[in-house]
Amino acid sequence: MTDTTETPLGLDRRNLLKTGAAAAGVAAGSGAITGFPTIWAQNIKDVTLRQFGTGVSNLNAIAEKVKEDLGFTLQMTALDSDSVTQRTVTQPNSYDIADIEYWICKKVFPTGALQPMDVKKIKYYDQIVPIFTTGKLTPESTIAQGTAPHTVTFVEGPGAKTFAKEPTQWMTLIPTIYNADTLGIRPDLVGRPIGNWKDILDPKFKGKTSILNIPSIGIMDAAMICESAGLIKYGDKGNMTEEEIDKTIAVLIEAKKGGQFRAFWKTFDESVNLMSSGEVIIQSMWSPAVTAVKSKGIPCVYQPLAEGYRAWGGGLGIGKNVKGIVLDAAYEYINWYLSGWCGAYLNRQGYYSACLSTAKQHMSPEEWAFWMEGKPAAAEIKSPDGKPIEKAGAVRDGGSFEERMGKVACWNAVMDKDRYMVRKWNEFIAA
Amino acid sequence: MQADRRTLEFYLLAAFFGLFVLFLYGPLSTILLLSFQGPNGGLTFPMNGVSLRWFQNLFETQAVGDFGGSFSRSLMLGLMVMATTVVVSLLAGLAFRRGFLGATPLFYLTISSLVVPSILISLGIGLAFQIAGLEPNWWSSAFGAHLTWTLPFGVLIMFAVFNRFSPAYEEAARDLGATSWQAFAHVVLPIIAPSLVGVGLFGFTLSYDEFARTLMTAGSFNTLPLEIYGMTTNVTTPVLYALGAVTTLVSFAVIGIALATIAIIARQRRKLGVS
Amino acid sequence: MSVAAEAAPAAVSDAPAPKRRRRAPPFAPYLQAMPLGLILGAFLLLPIAAIVIVSFWDYDSVQIYPAFVTLNYAETLGSWVTWSTLLNTLKFVAIVWAITLFVGFWVAYFLAFHVRTSKMQTLLFLVCTVPFLTSNIIRMISWVPFLGRNGLLNSALVEAGIVPAPLEFLLFSEFAVVLAMVHLYSLFMVTPIFNTLVRIDRSLIEAARDAGANGFQILWNVIIPLAKPGIAIGSIFVITLVLGDFITVRFMSGGQSASMGLMIANQISLLQYPAAAANAVALLVLVLIMMAAILRIVDIRKEL
Repeated sequence: MTDTTETPLGLDRRNLLKTGAAAAGVAAGSGAITGFPTIWAQNIKDVTLRQFGTGVSNLNAIAEKVKEDLGFTLQMTALDSDSVTQRTVTQPNSYDIADIEYWICKKVFPTGALQPMDVKKIKYYDQIVPIFTTGKLTPESTIAQGTAPHTVTFVEGPGAKTFAKEPTQWMTLIPTIYNADTLGIRPDLVGRPIGNWKDILDPKFKGKTSILNIPSIGIMDAAMICESAGLIKYGDKGNMTEEEIDKTIAVLIEAKKGGQFRAFWKTFDESVNLMSSGEVIIQSMWSPAVTAVKSKGIPCVYQPLAEGYRAWGGGLGIGKNVKGIVLDAAYEYINWYLSGWCGAYLNRQGYYSACLSTAKQHMSPEEWAFWMEGKPAAAEIKSPDGKPIEKAGAVRDGGSFEERMGKVACWNAVMDKDRYMVRKWNEFIAA
Repeated sequence: MQADRRTLEFYLLAAFFGLFVLFLYGPLSTILLLSFQGPNGGLTFPMNGVSLRWFQNLFETQAVGDFGGSFSRSLMLGLMVMATTVVVSLLAGLAFRRGFLGATPLFYLTISSLVVPSILISLGIGLAFQIAGLEPNWWSSAFGAHLTWTLPFGVLIMFAVFNRFSPAYEEAARDLGATSWQAFAHVVLPIIAPSLVGVGLFGFTLSYDEFARTLMTAGSFNTLPLEIYGMTTNVTTPVLYALGAVTTLVSFAVIGIALATIAIIARQRRKLGVS
Repeated sequence: MSVAAEAAPAAVSDAPAPKRRRRAPPFAPYLQAMPLGLILGAFLLLPIAAIVIVSFWDYDSVQIYPAFVTLNYAETLGSWVTWSTLLNTLKFVAIVWAITLFVGFWVAYFLAFHVRTSKMQTLLFLVCTVPFLTSNIIRMISWVPFLGRNGLLNSALVEAGIVPAPLEFLLFSEFAVVLAMVHLYSLFMVTPIFNTLVRIDRSLIEAARDAGANGFQILWNVIIPLAKPGIAIGSIFVITLVLGDFITVRFMSGGQSASMGLMIANQISLLQYPAAAANAVALLVLVLIMMAAILRIVDIRKEL
C-alpha cells in the first residue's frame, strides 16, 4: 500500500487523493461551473471533498451526480448518528463537509470544529424555507418547542462560536433535509384507529411498542406521549426542568417495567426490521422507514396524530480547517445541493428539501402534487431508484407539506439540563 | 487417548461438539436462507419470493456505502494486524520465558489492554491523534487500536504454550552444539508453529470484525464493519445477508483448497520418499 | 471459581525449569519485549492517561473544561444507576462465564483427546471460526429473524407442537443477551483450554490409569489441574469481554438492558467525556481487581 509512507501527516494522503482524483476528474467533468473565477475552474476538478454523515443523506447517487455536474470528487462516508457527533468534534481534520443534524449542531458548533459560512456565497439563501432562518413556516406560525433549527443556524461572525438570536451573515449549517416524525403503525395488527401519541401506552399493545433510544430524540417522543396522556404538563418540552425530566423518566420506567416496550431502536434499519417482522406494531418512526416497510408488501401507516409531529432537520457544515480551493469547492457543492436535483431526490424519498422552489423544477407535476401538496397520485409514484412505491390514486399519509410541517409540536432537542437528562435516561435503560 | 476403539465418551462428546457447531451456525442459517429473498424482500421473515437478486446486488453500487473499498481496507488491516500480532507476541513470549526486569508490569499492562473497554481505547486514541496533530487513518490509529486488542490474546496464548513447553528439547539441541538461534529455528519454532497459526487466525478474525475500536480511529474511511453499521442508518436490504453467505462460502472454499494443497504436497513427499 | 479455586497446588508439574540459560545474550529479552512495550505504551497508556485526566474535567451540554472536579466520580459512584448497572453487568458475567466454561471445557476436551490428528483438530477449529468471519453487525441483525416472534426457531417450535404460541422471551430479553454472548465468546474459552489440554503428557494419564484411577479421578486430579492456566486465560477473556460489552447488550436486549459499557457508550455519544471517563475508570478498577483475583488463584506466569 502506498499509504504506509514514512510521513503519516495527512498531507501526503490528501495530495495522493487529489492527484488520483485529478485524472478521473478531468476525464469525467462536464464543467457546469458557474460564478467562480475561471482561474479555479480547471483546478477545482482535482479537488476531493470528504463528507460524512448518517446514511440518511450520504447517498452514493449524490456523489455520482456531483462528479457529473461539478467535476470534482465527493467522497461519502456513512456512519451512525453517535459516531457522527464524535467525529465532528474529535476529528475535524478527517472531513471537509459534515452532514449533521441541528440538535447535534447545538453541541458541536460551540466546540469550534466547524467554520461559519458566508450567506453571501450561498446562491439560494433567499429561497431556503423560513423554518431555518426565522423559525416560522408562515409569518403566522408559532415556533415549535425544542432545538428549533433557526436557533442554532446563525453566529455573529467568522470566528464566533456562540449562536446569534437573529439571522446574520454567518450560518452554521446550510439546511438540506428535514422531516416531521410521528408514530408508524401496522394497520393490520393494531386493530383500532390510532389518533394520539398516548396510544403507544395502550395495554392492548403490551410488548409490541417501541421508541427511539437516542436520548435527545427519545426524550421528545416520551414528552409527546406523556403530554398526550395528560400525565405531565410541560412548561417547555424542549427545555424541561429537572422535575419534568424526573416525571417523564418515571413514566417511561413504569411502562418499561410493565413490559409495554418490545425494544428500543437506534438505527433506521432496526425500526424497519422491528416493524416488518411484526415484533412491533406501533412505534415512533420516520416517513421513509414506513415507505421501506410498505415496499416489502407489508401494510404500514405513517399515522398523523392530534398532538402534532416531532420534527428534525439536518444540514451541511464545513470543517474548520478547510480553506483555499477546497473551501471554494465546498461552497460550490453546497450551492449545487440547494439547486434542485438533490432536493427532488430527497423529496421523492419522503423527506423535505430546504429549497422547495428549486426542487420543484426537478420533479414532475404529479410527483410534486403527491409528495408536497398531499393530492392523490395522478400516476404511479416511483422511488428515486425507479421502484414503484405508490399506486395511482394513493394519498400521502399526513397530507401536504404545510399540513405536516405546520403541525410540528417539537424538535429534537438538546436541553439546558442535558447532562441531567442523559443521567436519567441511563436510569431508564438500567431500570 | 489413542485407543483404537471409540468409547461411549467419544460419542457423547462428539454429539456435544456437533450441537456446539450447530449453535455457532444458528444465525448463519437465517443469513443463508434470507439471502435468497425476493427482490422486494426484507431482512426478516416472511420470505417475499425467492431470487438471486441480492448476490448480484452485492457487486453493484449500493444506495449508501461501498462494499469494495471497505472490504479491501478491512482485509489489508486484518493481514497487517495478523502479521504484527504473530511476530510481536512470539517475541514477547520468548522474553517472558527468559524473564527480565519489568516483566511483571509489562504483563499486567498486557492484561489491562484486554480489559479496557474497547470504546474507550477508540476514543482515547482518537483524541491522542488529534492532540498530536496527526490525521487518524485506518492504517495508523485503527491499526494501533486493533493491536491493543489482538496482542494480549497473542501474548496470553504464547504464555499457555510456553507454560507447558519443556525446555528439554532445546537443551538437547544445545548439547548437540546448536546455537540459540538454531535451537529456536529448528526446535522451538516447529513445535509451536500450530499455536502461531492459531494466534494469526485469531488476530485476523478479531481485527476483521472489530467494530468499537475502529469507531473513532478509522479516520476518513470506513472499515467493513463500520461501513455495514453506517449502511443500517438507511434502508438496508438482504444484500447484507448475501455478503454473509458469500463470506462463509469463500471461507470454506479457502479452507478446502488449503487442506487439499497440504494433502497433495504430503502425498508427493511420501512418493518421493522424503519423510 | 469452582474448578480453578479448589484444585489445590498442581498435582503434577513439568520438569523443573532451569533458572538461567547459557548462551543467549542477556539483553535479548529486552529487545524481544520492546515491540510489545512500545505498542502498548503508545496505544494504551497514552489514551488511558488522557482518559484519567479527562475524568477530572468539568463539562456542560456543549463543552468540556480542563479543571479538577471530583463531581464526575461523585455522580458516578453516588448514583444507584451505576450500582444496579454494575450488578446487572456482573450477573451477565457470572452466567456467561459459567456456561462458556462448561461448554468450552468439553469442546476443548473433545478436540484434544478424541480427535486423533492435529490436521483434523485444525480443521474443526477452522469450522468453528468461519461463522465469525461474517460481520457481527450482520449476525446481530440475523438473530431477529432467527429468534423473533415469526422467526425460524419459534415457527419450528410451534409447528412441531412443542409450544402453543411463539416464545416472546427468546428475543429482546436478558436470555437473548446471554445466548448471543455465549455464541460470541465460547471460542475464547475453547482455544486456551485446548492449548493446555493438548500439551498434557499422555503418559501421565496412562500412569494414573495404571495406578487404578477411574475416569472421573483422572479428570479431576490430573487433567483439570493441568488445564488450570488455560481455564484462567479463557476466564480472563470471557470476563473482560462481557464486562466491556455494549453492542451485544444493546442489540439483543433491544436497548432495554444496561451494562457498564453501554452506559459509557451513551455518555460518549453525547460528548459527556468526563462522565464517561469517570465511569470508565471505575470499570477499569473493577476489572483489574477481578483479574488480580484470578491471577492470585491461578498464577498463569508460574513455571515460565
